Amino acid sequence: MVKKISAKEFHEAEASKAAVVDFSASWCMPCGMLAPVLEEVSEDMAGKMDFFNVDIDEAPDLATRFGVASIPCLVVLKDGEKIDQSVGFLPKEALTEFIEKNM
Amino acid sequence: MERYDIAIIGTGPAGLSAAITAKIRNKNILLIGSKTLSPKVEKAHTIQNYLGMPEVSGAELQTAFTDHLADSQIEITEDKIHAIYAMGAYFMLQGSGANYEASSVILATGVSAGRLYEGEEQFLGRGVSYCATCDAALYKGKSAAIVGFSPKEEAEAEFMAEIADKVLYFPMYKDEVQFSEENTKDKIEVIREVPVSVEGSMKAERLVTRDNSYDVDGVFFLRESVSPAQLVPGLKMNGNHIEVTRNMATNIAGCFACGDIVGTPYQYIKSAGEGNVAALAAVSYLDQKKRAQK
Repeated sequence: MVKKISAKEFHEAEASKAAVVDFSASWCMPCGMLAPVLEEVSEDMAGKMDFFNVDIDEAPDLATRFGVASIPCLVVLKDGEKIDQSVGFLPKEALTEFIEKNM
Repeated sequence: MERYDIAIIGTGPAGLSAAITAKIRNKNILLIGSKTLSPKVEKAHTIQNYLGMPEVSGAELQTAFTDHLADSQIEITEDKIHAIYAMGAYFMLQGSGANYEASSVILATGVSAGRLYEGEEQFLGRGVSYCATCDAALYKGKSAAIVGFSPKEEAEAEFMAEIADKVLYFPMYKDEVQFSEENTKDKIEVIREVPVSVEGSMKAERLVTRDNSYDVDGVFFLRESVSPAQLVPGLKMNGNHIEVTRNMATNIAGCFACGDIVGTPYQYIKSAGEGNVAALAAVSYLDQKKRAQK
């Protein structure tokens, strides 16, 4: 499951040992396309990785903090530290590969 | 939304040949391109090695292709596809005019001569983007440089200026540029200079032209056609070409490619042959998928 969180709830992602944060926005077409694919991947990886979604319009400070310059942007966090990012839509296989290499 | 069996992008010899073969195999197809087919065919002086048509001119070949399409009752949808998303079970195609869904896709868009600017790829997604309307909201209170390759990109600059503080517009065409929207025209500065590179550290910080350097928060390159890797996110490339197997299959299941876009030699008859292979491979992919569902 990809959990939608606000800026105030972001500590949940930071507290996670391994998390993927999907920075997106309601008006962004590729974000809307990526969401169902990420949902599928999150089911496949349940228990191994936590998945979160942050709306950059509601949390602009977080977007700036993580250097999000284009969306959708997937940020991989390890104990709250950013270790990698991927920008743009990815098909399921490539998305799985990107996350697995950061596990 | 109607879901086509096969969406074919491109109306050069590869795309047309794929469309005709797919139609013969009774597939519900969507052919996207131009009713004038392909400028590369139309403008060819003479073609000497197109089987059965010795010394044919480009214009004659274009007419023959058009007649063949009419005979096969194939319609061309005139639209520009900005992005194709592999959703797993199907593909979502985002066009200028509409969005489309298809179970498989054949890419036959030809090679674009367009060259990337220095730093463009390096900062892609980190301040460099190809869609101003997509990323505009990130530029609230910021500045952006927009390099527009056709007058229709002026609308994108105006959209950006509604949100950003400052927009520098670099027209890459000769037509006069006139921004008239009352609420945005003062925010847009038109600069007739030739961009050379994008520079920065963590992210793009400035656009360098032959004469000057401009500090901006983002740079947008709005071209007539996007590169295949931009068109289909996740697509595996081999240099400027799409990597394909002998069956014209790309690394994405259900997505095939043919013609100049997959590599040299750039020959009309080679493209037509590959279009045929791609269509038959797509048909077999659809059959297998259907069987798996049963």
